[in-house]
Amino acid sequence: MTLQVTALSKQISGRPIIQDINFEWAPGEIIGLVGRNGVGKTTLFRTMMNHYVPEAGQLTIDGEDVQQTPQLQQQLFFIDTQYNFLSTYRLWELPRFFGTVYPQFDEKRFMALIQRFKLDANSQYRRLSKGMRALVNLILALTSNATYIILDEPFDGLDVIVRENIATMVIDEVADQRKGFLISSHDLNELDGLSDRVLLLKNSQLVHDYNLEEVRARAKKIQLVLNDKVIPDVIKQQGKLIRVSGRVLVVVITDYTPAIDQELKALHPVLFEELPLTLEDLFRANLAHDTGYQMMK
Amino acid sequence: MFKQRIDQLIWQRHRRILFAIAVVTLLGVLIISLTALHSVVTNNETHQLVDANLIRQWRPYNGGYFSAYSMWLFLAAWLSGLAVMHLDLRDNFNQFLFSSGYSRKRVYWSKLKVTWAVLLLLDVVATAMEYLIYWIGTPHGYTWTIAWPGILTSWVVGLSMSIGLFAISWFAAVIVGQSGPLIATVAGFTISLAGFAGIGGTILTKEPFSLTSDQVMWLSLIVWLIASVILFFWGAALYQHLSLEHNGEYLLFPHLRVPVYIVFVLYVTLLFSWSSDGVSTVVSFVLSALFGYAWLWRPRLGEKWHQWREHNQG
Repeated sequence: MTLQVTALSKQISGRPIIQDINFEWAPGEIIGLVGRNGVGKTTLFRTMMNHYVPEAGQLTIDGEDVQQTPQLQQQLFFIDTQYNFLSTYRLWELPRFFGTVYPQFDEKRFMALIQRFKLDANSQYRRLSKGMRALVNLILALTSNATYIILDEPFDGLDVIVRENIATMVIDEVADQRKGFLISSHDLNELDGLSDRVLLLKNSQLVHDYNLEEVRARAKKIQLVLNDKVIPDVIKQQGKLIRVSGRVLVVVITDYTPAIDQELKALHPVLFEELPLTLEDLFRANLAHDTGYQMMK
Repeated sequence: MFKQRIDQLIWQRHRRILFAIAVVTLLGVLIISLTALHSVVTNNETHQLVDANLIRQWRPYNGGYFSAYSMWLFLAAWLSGLAVMHLDLRDNFNQFLFSSGYSRKRVYWSKLKVTWAVLLLLDVVATAMEYLIYWIGTPHGYTWTIAWPGILTSWVVGLSMSIGLFAISWFAAVIVGQSGPLIATVAGFTISLAGFAGIGGTILTKEPFSLTSDQVMWLSLIVWLIASVILFFWGAALYQHLSLEHNGEYLLFPHLRVPVYIVFVLYVTLLFSWSSDGVSTVVSFVLSALFGYAWLWRPRLGEKWHQWREHNQG
């Protein structure tokens, strides 16, 4: 089973918002979609969900065009956080709508999760805090049992505990390879440890599609304490300095080879320590100029 | 109530507003009926609630103290068309519908089907209630006599009028995206139709047509129904291409702006200058052209004035 987005383009008021977007997405994958605010992440989702009529392109599931077979749309789940109909409804009313559209909707689990997160089923959606709404959106997404779940900035406004709960739930959901997630964020830390792949949207186009496992297999983040304050050439040429504090350097080397390892050790550093490599480190090291990531912060 | 899931979804969504419209209609029918029964006694003009001659003719009954097809049912149809189509746009339910796995075509016709199922039921209940009130409540010494010709004709004409009014508000709600301007537009157009019908009647009863008033009525009804069907199908075709980035704009289909402008200017000019002199026609044309431009393009005149002034001063 694969979802494929092919040459998808959308203009608003004559201005291209997304152009020629192409990617594949299979169940079991958690894909991060990153890009600066206003780059077109939500427009991409809205176009995929048939809210917007695209100028060009198509979305297929297992080779079948969703426009030709609208029923396939039931395999996709997305709640637009800005424009949704939930406001006036109470939480206990929502399964009636979602249960009608998603054949596998699990109402029992929905109510159980509502209870687990101490949400009042009798509350109107609009009376909930931003974080609670995000939680309800995620609960609806999980209990819809749709194959492809799109989450737009799902961690926005959530406290650390809830955020971790959600991340765990998302990871658990993909364990049996039946569901896939496409998660947008402008904060790379949110996607760290969650995404397998990262799609990078820039200037209305998908400029990169990274497999993080492959990138991580080659890269290393190292903390060095050198004998003097001069930054050696090997670091300047092969790595990206993340932090410089006196003689303490933190460097990310995206293509770490035995030769580089030897060169670094030949400097006889006072301290040579490998640090955990985050998604943000990778982007800062490798892609900052390429992607405009530094502008996202 | 509905077997198909899409119909259930539409019913789930709109049952509250349709129920509210039904309650208002039934209350309206109740109040009007009781008022008529009371006033016939107070006025003491006649002891016949229904004019026996009129009700036996194959014409819609239009005597006093009794309406064979309540005016409230017209309002119910008009409001339902507006509400069911517009509320989904205003409350962002269209987002859910468009990604529900049902084609837009199915969604559109399902909305129409569910709304009309309720409206037809309401027609039957409201009419039965009205007739029951008259049957039970006719004061002692007064008569309430009905006959099939007048009743059937009233129902056919009334239902056709309801369909037409529904089609107008429904279609307007497909193409207009702002609540206040939508109500103003559709109310203005609906009221103006009385004037337009008058012009049509004048043309058709004179040479070369020379139709009788009955012929004009039946012809108008046929045209009215054909126009309704056209609006339903045109609405369906447009709904298929509705892209929600235009939510909140006056026209949800920007490419319709120029055609709507042309039709508006011609229609208003005709309405206000019919059988008037040339000066009236020119004034009507200029005013409707200016108003139509301001309404459809919403030029920010104040903003442009300040920009122009700043530019000149700068």
